[in-house]
Amino acid sequence: MAEAPSTTRNPFTHVETPAVGVAVEDLCKSFGTFEVLKHVSFSVAPGEIFVLMGPSGSGKSVLLKHIVGLELPSSGRVTVDNRDAAAEETREQVRMALVFQAGALFNSMTVYDNLALYPREHRIADEAGIREKVMRALQILSLENAAEKFPSELSGGMKKRVAIARALVMEPQLMLYDEPTSELDPVMSATIAEIIATLKDQYRVTTIVVSHDRDLALNISDRVGILMGGELLFLGTPAELRTPTDPRVADFLNPKIDLQNPRFKKLET
Amino acid sequence: MINMQQTARVGLFFLLGLALIWVTFETLSGGKVFKDKGYQIVAGFESLKELKEGDDVRMAGVKIGTVASTRLAGRRAEAVLRIDSDVKIKEDATASIVMSGLIGTNYIGVDLGSAGAGDLRPGAEIHTKVTPDINSVMTQLGSLGAKLEDTLGSLGTAMNGNGKGPGLLQKIDKLVSDNGENVTATMANVRQVSEKLNKGEGTLGKLINDPKLHDDLVASVAEIKSTATEARNFVADAQNIVDQVKAGRGTLGALVYDDTTGNNIKVTAANLRSVSDKLARGEGTLGKLINDDSTLRDAQAVMKKANTALDGLGDSGPITAVGIVAKSLF
Amino acid sequence: MKQLIQILEGLGSTLQLLMRAASYAGTLPRQIGRFVEQCYTIGYTTLPIVAILSFFIGSVLALQSGHAAENFGPKQFIGLLVGLSMAAELGPVMVAVLLAGRVGSAIAAELASMKVYQEIDALETMNIPPARILVLPRLAAILVMMPVLTIIADLVGWFGGAIVAKYTHFISIEPESYFATMRQYMEFRDVWNGLVKAEVFGFVIVLVSCNIGLNTRGGPREIGASVTRAVVVSLILILVLDYFVTKALM
Repeated sequence: MAEAPSTTRNPFTHVETPAVGVAVEDLCKSFGTFEVLKHVSFSVAPGEIFVLMGPSGSGKSVLLKHIVGLELPSSGRVTVDNRDAAAEETREQVRMALVFQAGALFNSMTVYDNLALYPREHRIADEAGIREKVMRALQILSLENAAEKFPSELSGGMKKRVAIARALVMEPQLMLYDEPTSELDPVMSATIAEIIATLKDQYRVTTIVVSHDRDLALNISDRVGILMGGELLFLGTPAELRTPTDPRVADFLNPKIDLQNPRFKKLET
Repeated sequence: MINMQQTARVGLFFLLGLALIWVTFETLSGGKVFKDKGYQIVAGFESLKELKEGDDVRMAGVKIGTVASTRLAGRRAEAVLRIDSDVKIKEDATASIVMSGLIGTNYIGVDLGSAGAGDLRPGAEIHTKVTPDINSVMTQLGSLGAKLEDTLGSLGTAMNGNGKGPGLLQKIDKLVSDNGENVTATMANVRQVSEKLNKGEGTLGKLINDPKLHDDLVASVAEIKSTATEARNFVADAQNIVDQVKAGRGTLGALVYDDTTGNNIKVTAANLRSVSDKLARGEGTLGKLINDDSTLRDAQAVMKKANTALDGLGDSGPITAVGIVAKSLF
Repeated sequence: MKQLIQILEGLGSTLQLLMRAASYAGTLPRQIGRFVEQCYTIGYTTLPIVAILSFFIGSVLALQSGHAAENFGPKQFIGLLVGLSMAAELGPVMVAVLLAGRVGSAIAAELASMKVYQEIDALETMNIPPARILVLPRLAAILVMMPVLTIIADLVGWFGGAIVAKYTHFISIEPESYFATMRQYMEFRDVWNGLVKAEVFGFVIVLVSCNIGLNTRGGPREIGASVTRAVVVSLILILVLDYFVTKALM
C-alpha cells in the first residue's frame, strides 16, 4: 500500500489542505426488523481511493449515506476526520460531496444553476466569482457547452459528469460516488473511471466509490472492500482481490454462467 | 433566475389585491382607518325589554349609532349608546325603545328635541320615556277585555234582577246611596274618557275617529258581529243566572241576600273608581293608550297585522287584536 | 392505533418543518427570486380559476336565495346574503379548496419527486436545508398571495351575484339596492375575518403539502400517493380549521 498523500489540493484556489480520513466502527443498521448492515468496520486513509463493492441490495448505498450523515446508525459509529458523521456540524466543518447514482441533478434548473447553487447559497463568492468557478468545473469535465441545458436534455453519461462537476464546485475534501458507472456503456464507464482517478491524482481528494464495477475497482482503487448481505467479506488491495480466498467473493468477481445449475433456482429468498 | 416580467406581474397582482382590499374597506367602513368611536351617552330604562347590544340608535329614522353595551345599574337597566361623532343630540331629546314590528328588531329612537336646546355632552344621560311594548299591550287588552266582560255580566245580571224582585231593588238602592260618591266620580271619569274619544284625542280616540282605520274596522265587522251573537247568548245565560239568583243560589244570590258581601262590593266600586281615575290621568298602559298619541303608530301596525291575520285565519276571532278590542268595546 | 401514531407523526414533523422554516426567515431577502417565482405560480396563475369559480358561486347564491325569497321574504337582502356568505365563508374556503387542489398537489408532487430522485438528499449533502430554499419561499409567497386571491374571489362573487340579481326575471333587483344592503349591514370586519381565515388555510395547505412531499419514501409510485395524501389532508384540515378559526374570530 503506497504512502497516502496527506494533503488535498483545492481545484480552484490550489490551496493545500490536510486530507481527511473516514472510519467506520462496528456499524449496524436495521430498518424495522430487517438488518441491512451487520457490524461493519473499516477505515479509509486520507487521500486514498477506496472502492466498496457488492451485489445489489447488499447495503452499499446505505453505508454511503451513513458517511454523509443522511442516515443515522442503529449502533456503532462513523467518523469523518475524527468527527461524528451523524452530527450536523460535521457537514459544515468537512466539505463532503456525494455523487448520486442517478445524478440527482435539480431538474428545474439549468446545468449552470445546478453547479452555482452551492456557492450561491453559501455565499462563497460574488456572481462573477461563481461564474468563473462554475465554468472552470465544467471545463475540467469538458462540459462547457452544456452550461445552459436542462438535465432532461442530457444523456446518462453527461448527467453523471455534471453531477461530478457539481460535487467538484463544493471544493470537497471527501468525494463519495454512488454507482458512478451503472447504467452506462463500457466506454462511458471507462471515461467516468478515468475522471475519478484524474480528480484523485490531481487534487488528492479522499475518495470512496460504491460500485459493482469490477474493472473500476481493480484499476483505480487503492483498496477494495466487498460487502455482501450486510457483512464485509473482503478488505484489501486490488492485487489481493485477484486471488480471493472466500468462494462467495470469487463467485461475485468471476461469475460463471452455469445453465445446468442456475443460481436463481438456488436463491433462498 | 429572476424573470423581470414575472416579477412585474407579481408586483402588479399584489398591488391590485391591496387596492381591492382598500376599496372594500372604504366602502364598508366609510374610509375611517379606525372605526369611528363616536361618543357615548347613557340611557336608563326600567326595562330594556328585547333590546340588545349592537341594535341601532336612530334619530328621526336615521341611524346615528349603536347600542354599545347594556348593563344593570342599581334598580334600573342602562344602555350605553355609541353615537356617531358628527351627530349632535339636544339636551331635551328623549330616548325610547321602539319595536320595528311584531317580529322586528328593536332600536332606540331618539327624538330631535327642541331647536334652541344645547347639545348633550359625551357621557351625559339622555331623558327616556317608557313606551308600552306590543306584547304587554296585547296581554293587558286581553285581560282587560275578560275583566270588563265579567263586570258587565255581573252588572247586567244585577239590572235584570232589578226589574223583577223588589227585595233586590232595596239592596241595590242601599248600595248605590252608600257608594253614591264613588259612582258619581266614576261616571264623570267615564264621561271624560268618552269625550276624549269623541274628540279624537289619544290613541283609542284616533282609532275610532281616524278614517284610515275605517277600512280596518269594517274588515273586523264580521268579527264584531260574531261577538254580538255571543253577547246575545250571554244575555240568555244571564237570564238563567238571574233565575238562580232569585232562588238565592250562587254567589250573586249570596251577594244580594247577605250583608257582609255588601262591603266587598264597596271595595270593588272604589277600585273601579281608582282605575277610571288612572285611565283619565293617562297612567298605566291603557291610560297611555287613551291619552298618548305616540302609540297610535304601533296600534295602526297592529291593526294591519290583525286584519291580515283575520284575512288569513278566517274566523278565529277572539284571539286576534281586533276581536279583543271589539269585545272590550261592547 | 397505528393510524393515530401516523397522525401524531405527521403533526410532529409538520411542526418541526415549520420551526425549521421559520428559523431561516432571515434568509428571505436573499431568496427574493424564489419568492417571486412562487408568488407567480401560487398566486398569479391561480387567479383565473379562482375568478371563474367565485363568480359562479356568487351567482348561484343569488339565484338560490332569490328563488327561495320569491314567494316570501325580503328580496332586497339577497345582496347582504351573498355579501356575507362570500366574505365570511365561501370566499376563503373555496379559494383554499382550489389551492389545495392546484397548489398543494403541485407542491407535494414537486417535492416528492425531488425526494424520490434524491435531489433532496443532494441538498442535504450540500448543507443546503430544503426547509430554507424549498419551504420558506412557498410559505412566504402564500402569505402574501392568499389575501389577494381571497379579496378578488369575494369581489368577483359579489358582482356575480349582482348580475344574476339584476337579470333574473323573478329577482330583478337593481345593483344599487343589492349593494346598499351590503353596505348598510356589513362591516369591513366581516371581510377582514375572511381574509384572516384564508391566510390560515393557505399557510396550512402549503406547510402540510411541503411536509408530505418531503417525507415521501420509496419509488416514483409514491409520488402519486403523496399528492393524493396532500390534497386529502389539506381538504380535511381546511374544513376542521374553518370551524375553529371561525369560532376564534367570533
